This record gives sequence, structure tokens and C-alpha cells, in this order.
Amino acid sequence: MTEKQSIVDKQADHCIDQQQSETHFGFEQVNSSDKAGRVAEVFHSVAAKYDVMNDLMSAGIHRLWKRFTIEKAAVRPGHKVLDIAGGTGDLSFKFSRLVGCEGLVVLSDINDSMLKVGRDRLLDRGVAGNTQYAQLDAQYLPFPDNSFDVITIAFGLRNVTDKNMALCSMLRVLKPGGRLLVLEFSKPSNTLLEKVYDTYSFKALPLIGKLVTGDADSYRYLAESIRMHPDQETLKSMMVDAGFANPEYSNMTGGIVALHSGTKP
Amino acid sequence: MAIDPTLSTAALTAAETAINQTLLYDPGTRLALAQLEGQILAIDVSGPALTLYLAFNRDGLQLLGNFEGNVNTRLRGKAFNLAALIRGNNTSLASSGVEVFGSTALLAKLQTIARNIDIDWEEPLIQLFGDLLGHQSAEYIRWRCGYIQARLKTGLRLGSEFLTEENRSLPAHAELEFFYQQVDTLRTSTDRAEAKLQALLARINTPPSNTSQP
Repeated sequence: MTEKQSIVDKQADHCIDQQQSETHFGFEQVNSSDKAGRVAEVFHSVAAKYDVMNDLMSAGIHRLWKRFTIEKAAVRPGHKVLDIAGGTGDLSFKFSRLVGCEGLVVLSDINDSMLKVGRDRLLDRGVAGNTQYAQLDAQYLPFPDNSFDVITIAFGLRNVTDKNMALCSMLRVLKPGGRLLVLEFSKPSNTLLEKVYDTYSFKALPLIGKLVTGDADSYRYLAESIRMHPDQETLKSMMVDAGFANPEYSNMTGGIVALHSGTKP
Repeated sequence: MAIDPTLSTAALTAAETAINQTLLYDPGTRLALAQLEGQILAIDVSGPALTLYLAFNRDGLQLLGNFEGNVNTRLRGKAFNLAALIRGNNTSLASSGVEVFGSTALLAKLQTIARNIDIDWEEPLIQLFGDLLGHQSAEYIRWRCGYIQARLKTGLRLGSEFLTEENRSLPAHAELEFFYQQVDTLRTSTDRAEAKLQALLARINTPPSNTSQP
């Protein structure tokens, strides 16, 4: 057995070992098999006003976080890009212009309501020909090995039931040298900012959610799921364990959001 | 201390939006920039340390904080020197404090485009105030700008004449050129004299060769 084969086998074992029977849904412990359904309910509820809420909750700053992600993705003409948890298609819209006619962008989401909103938005903006749509679970990506040059998952990883399994699946479908970018809420680096952010998340967010979408619980889940998501260093080590090379992260807005990146060796 | 990417991205986005909104009223410049599509200009600013990339397309200009592809031209210098270069009419980068790497053709094209910028302010004013008032406002602004520019030009010329001719507190441009020429001549003569001196010293210090025959 070669050394490389041994590393691949160890990574595969790691991915299988990580499958757990229980996981968290916000601050609640639930069966792993139930989480996807619970998350789906949340996103069915918010899909129609997802963009308005994003702008309201972040004061439009989510557009800057996404723009930075697009720059870091370094997508070039001819690239194949997988946008996981692509939601309303903000990233896919830009990627479709960058990959050109020879490239391909796959906008994917586990939630059909979100995917429909994203697909309609892209079609309305004239995006066609180099874009495909797929409803899929990030843990079981239905693509052959070594398919994509770039994979992005923006504000989606924390909703995935088994994050390790999802990272392994992403590594598998990335081409060697391909890049994964994970844009996700994280842990503020300043304690004062963290306190302000906590107050905002647990008091203001559910209230805004209730006023705009009539659903406070979904936005309470949002705040809880952010707190339960691994911090910057933990997610970085999870990427290393999954087999990614050169893992690094950039804190944005004082660490409220972090962009992690890693390369398939 | 590194700048938070949110801040740098916000600054670049705001600048890009402002430039492209302005270029909406200058189709000639937009067309000229579209011809540079695919070319990248990188600007490395030191103090504060910052690198930004300019990409060109049909919509105008794109300002990027990160870029991993091939760069056609790279400018490197202090923020002050780069700003002076952009504002001035220099045709050479010599003694500007700015270094250039890669193709200079892109820079020359950008300089030509910058010189020919002609923003039609009438269109946004018409959209804002209607045909009649918009046109009159634009005419007034054009007249006012022309008047201010003419006064500024005259003021600068008169000020310069007073300082050089009347007050004699500054040398005139021609005098300065003549002085530089004299310095150059003196430097060349000194270099020549030094070379001759070295040659003489070398001849003196060389021991005479033994020419006596047995």
C-alpha cells in the first residue's frame, strides 16, 4: 500500500467515524436524522423574505462579506464552481459571469423553497447556459470525484447535520488543487463586541424576524446555531482533519464572520 | 495592523460604485475602458500598506482587494507619490518616486483615457430637474466652471510672474534650466578632470619597465 493510499484511507475512516447519533439544533439536542427536517422548516418559512431579512439583519454588510469571498475564490473563465447552500444565488450570479461560456456554476441547496427563489432570481437576471441547479445534501454530494475547481458554502455549514462528513464530501468532489471557501458566522475577537453582538442576536434578531416574516423562532434558531457553530480555530482543525491543505481564515467585521479556505492536495 | 476586510471591501465598493455611476454619463470613456477588458493594473501602496487591483470591463472599472491571476502592470510607491502622479501631467515616471513593473502600454492608454474624460453633467441634471431647468442648470455650471478655471489659470500666472519678475524671490523657469545646465557641464568637466588625474597618478605610480639590454 502506498503512503498516499494510506492517507486517503485514514481520511475515509475519519469521515465514517464522525457520523454521530445526536446533534444540536440551535441549543437543543436532537437526533441526527431529525435535524435536516427541522432546518428545512426554518428555511421554508423564511425563503420568500430571505434577502430582505439579510439586508435588515446585517445592514447590508452581508454583501461585503460575499464580495470578499468572490475575490478570494479567484474564479477564472472555464472553471467549474459548486455553490452549496447557495440560497438566493448571490454568489452564483457573480460566478456565472466570471466562468464565462466554457465554465459551469452549480447552484445547490438542500431546501427546495430556497433553490426555487435562487433559480427564479438568476433566470430573471438573464443567467442561463452556464448555470445548473441541484437540490442536494452537502454530506452526500452527488458528483463524481475531482469535479470542481472551486466550492463555496456561504452561511450554510452550521446548518449541516454532520459537518465533518460534509467537509469530506466536498474534498472528494474537488479537483486536486481546487479550493473550498467556507463563509460562516464565527466568534468575535473582542469581548465587548461579543457582548453587543449577543444582545443584538438574542433580543433584536427575533424581533426583526417577527415583524418582517411573522416568525421569531426561525431567527432565534439563527442566533443559537451561530453560537453552536465551531469557532475559527476549531473549524480550521476540522478542515485539516478532513484532509484539506493550506487551511487559513480571515476574520471579517471583528470576527463576527470568518472566511475559511483550504485546498485539495 | 491589518485592515478588517469588511472595511477595505466597503471602501473599494463605494469607490467603484461612485466611479461607475459617474462614467454612466461619459460613454466615450466607458467604451475606451471596455477595450482594456482582461487587463489588470495592480497598485502597491506603501504607508499605509495596501494593494488594489483595477480590472476593466464594459460596465467601467472594477476595484479589487484580492486578485490571483496575471497582472499586466504593477505600480509601486508611497500614497503621496501615487496621488501626485495621478494628478499631474507627467509623461515620465523618473524621479516621481513610483516604480513601474510590466507593460507600460496599459499605463499610456489609461493616461490618454484620463485626459479625455468628458462627463456630461447635463443628463443627470435633466433627469433630476426636467428638460428646461436641467439644461439651464447645466449651462450655468459649465459657465461657472469655465469662469473659475480661467480665473485660476490667470491667478496662477500672475502669482508666478510676481514672484519671479517683480519680487525676484523665485528664479524663473528659464533661469533654473540654465543653472541646471551649468551644473551638468560642471559635473561633466569634474568627471573628466578626475579621470585625467587618475590616469596621471596611475602613470606616476607604475614602476618604469627595465629596458636595459644585456
